[in-house]
Amino acid sequence: MVACISPDPIDPFSRSGALMIEFLQPLPVYIVLLAALLNLVRRQWTLNLIALVVQFVFVFPPLLKILPLQLALIHPFTGLMVTLILYLTLLGGGGIEAINFHGSLTSGEIFRGLAGLFLLATLHTFLPQIQQAAFPLVPIDHLFLSLGLILVGLLQLGTIREPFYLAIGMLTFLSGFELLYSALEFSYLLEALLVAVNLLLAIVGAFFIVKDTESEPA
Amino acid sequence: MSNSAIIWIVLPVVLGIGMAFIQRFRKLSAILGTLFPLIFAVLALIFSNGLTLIFLGRAYTIADSLTVFGRIIQITADQLDIIALLYFLCFAWNLGSRLFSVSQWFTSLSLVITALWVSVQFINPFLYSAVVIELIALISVPLLSPRGTPAQSGVLRFLSMQTLAMPLILLSGWMVSGIETSPSAEVLVLRGSLLVIAGFSLWAGIFPLHSWLPMLTEETHPWVISFLQTIMQIGIAIFFLKFLNQYAWLRNQEEIKLVLKWIGALCIISGGILSFFQTKLSRIFGYLFLAGTGYIVLTMAFQQQGWIDLLTLHVLPRAFAYWSLGYSLSMLREALGSESLYISELKGLIWRYPRISTLLFISFLNILGMPLFSLFPSNRLIWSILARESLVIRLLISIGLVGMILMFLRVLSMAVQPADVTEQDKQERPLMLVPVVLIVLIMVLAGLFPQFFSAPVQNLFISFHDLLP
Repeated sequence: MVACISPDPIDPFSRSGALMIEFLQPLPVYIVLLAALLNLVRRQWTLNLIALVVQFVFVFPPLLKILPLQLALIHPFTGLMVTLILYLTLLGGGGIEAINFHGSLTSGEIFRGLAGLFLLATLHTFLPQIQQAAFPLVPIDHLFLSLGLILVGLLQLGTIREPFYLAIGMLTFLSGFELLYSALEFSYLLEALLVAVNLLLAIVGAFFIVKDTESEPA
Repeated sequence: MSNSAIIWIVLPVVLGIGMAFIQRFRKLSAILGTLFPLIFAVLALIFSNGLTLIFLGRAYTIADSLTVFGRIIQITADQLDIIALLYFLCFAWNLGSRLFSVSQWFTSLSLVITALWVSVQFINPFLYSAVVIELIALISVPLLSPRGTPAQSGVLRFLSMQTLAMPLILLSGWMVSGIETSPSAEVLVLRGSLLVIAGFSLWAGIFPLHSWLPMLTEETHPWVISFLQTIMQIGIAIFFLKFLNQYAWLRNQEEIKLVLKWIGALCIISGGILSFFQTKLSRIFGYLFLAGTGYIVLTMAFQQQGWIDLLTLHVLPRAFAYWSLGYSLSMLREALGSESLYISELKGLIWRYPRISTLLFISFLNILGMPLFSLFPSNRLIWSILARESLVIRLLISIGLVGMILMFLRVLSMAVQPADVTEQDKQERPLMLVPVVLIVLIMVLAGLFPQFFSAPVQNLFISFHDLLP
């Protein structure tokens, strides 16, 4: 990412400010990817919902670089609605519990975490080549974020069978794709359809949670 | 109101949603669910010669396009046969929905799903239809996985596959947007083609991405899954034709034709062989869908003189074959009280349920493409075209066909075994004979006089100007 401010070389404060901005600019990208990794690794519904909110909210700064404010707000706002639907369903089914920070990691969680990190590291290594070959117009940070979400979402879809986590996997995958596509072209109709897909996906996720709760032996 | 998109897309969606509120009144819901698609199909046939209707000296004209969010949904008169076919499918399945214990949402959701499949064919730019197909998959969930049972892996896998397909199709369109002016068009064409083929393979459940198909037919009521799969198979086939019609770079590639031939052959051989090894009729149904996809792909692979006519000849009998097999499997499920329909449960079936088993075996023979039945004329043409193809492809398809015939013989041998017939078993209603005779009669007549059977849909693909000779 190219820094937007060209600092005065004489002024040390301005220089450190520019460095700070340069350091902070990709921060939302890493926060979003971290939240997606957390959803991939941990299996605590409350924690997963918080991570999902973080994942959706922090895509706003990267989106703001390529879209006007009103349009950049659509994705995080839809994400909040989606999380709310899932939260209310889990609340109704008694699935919201206090987060357990002391539980040790299982071998499955360690595997998923390492697999996710490996995928993201590999992606980061080959990002310039991918950008040059396929998406030359997409900023590299944006490409890293969108492809990273797609990969983490795919990993989630491939390793999990529980409907709630499958829904999160699909939402993560779609979120990555939406970010990528918004950098390529924008259409109001497509945006409306994708919002409908996200909301329906949340409703389907909620439907599965309710079904599973109903069919559990008392 | 006088707009084709409103009449055949918006109105059915509104009616479908409205019917959801009366789903508790099952009889009324079934009647309306049968009546509405029939009306939309008949209206489409009436207006298929022109969007102006002269009635009692007055001319009624329907506008052919609707603008939504700056994009156009356009339905012209020559495309109305496609709409008539899709609504006729909805009508045919809703006609029998009352007979079986399917989801109470079936009538309303089937109408909404049909309207969305119609919209898939007419949204401009047509690539955005990929998102509508994802919406259809999501809306189908209450039908595929009714309440009271935990979410099973088939429906979850189906959703995952449909979700993965959508971005591939959307990206393919973006990737090849500048293909005419690009200096390295070959690379773009290759990438675009790969994305399109991968996307459609995921959607249609092409071998080896078909694992969700038998799982879904196992988990879902045969009547519901036969409707969803039939309309999906036909809807996706028409959408693929749209790709071929729109993209000359895709249509003119020799490699695509070769890839399609291999996909078709692999679907038929995998469907045939795997169906033989199944222990449940419900899973066999899934593999027959896979083989059916193979036949449809094969008709598209031989892009020579008359291939569109061949596809037209194939579509309606294929849909009817699924309908009759779905009907007989649903009857069997109700009669035996079995969800999975294990082949071992069919012992002595012919003595216990002679009418249902007759229909079942004739439906099997029909879907295999045996002589005298409705799928034979189009299958025979495909086989005769194949005679000029490479030995490997011929061999693959022959093995697949042999696999399906052996599967049929295996089921038949179980059904004809002597069994202790109880009084309860013999309670097959004599009135059952009427639909059985009617269905078999239609099958035979359509096999003997295919031109009459396909006459109502002879202009089905007339709007694909670039594909016609």
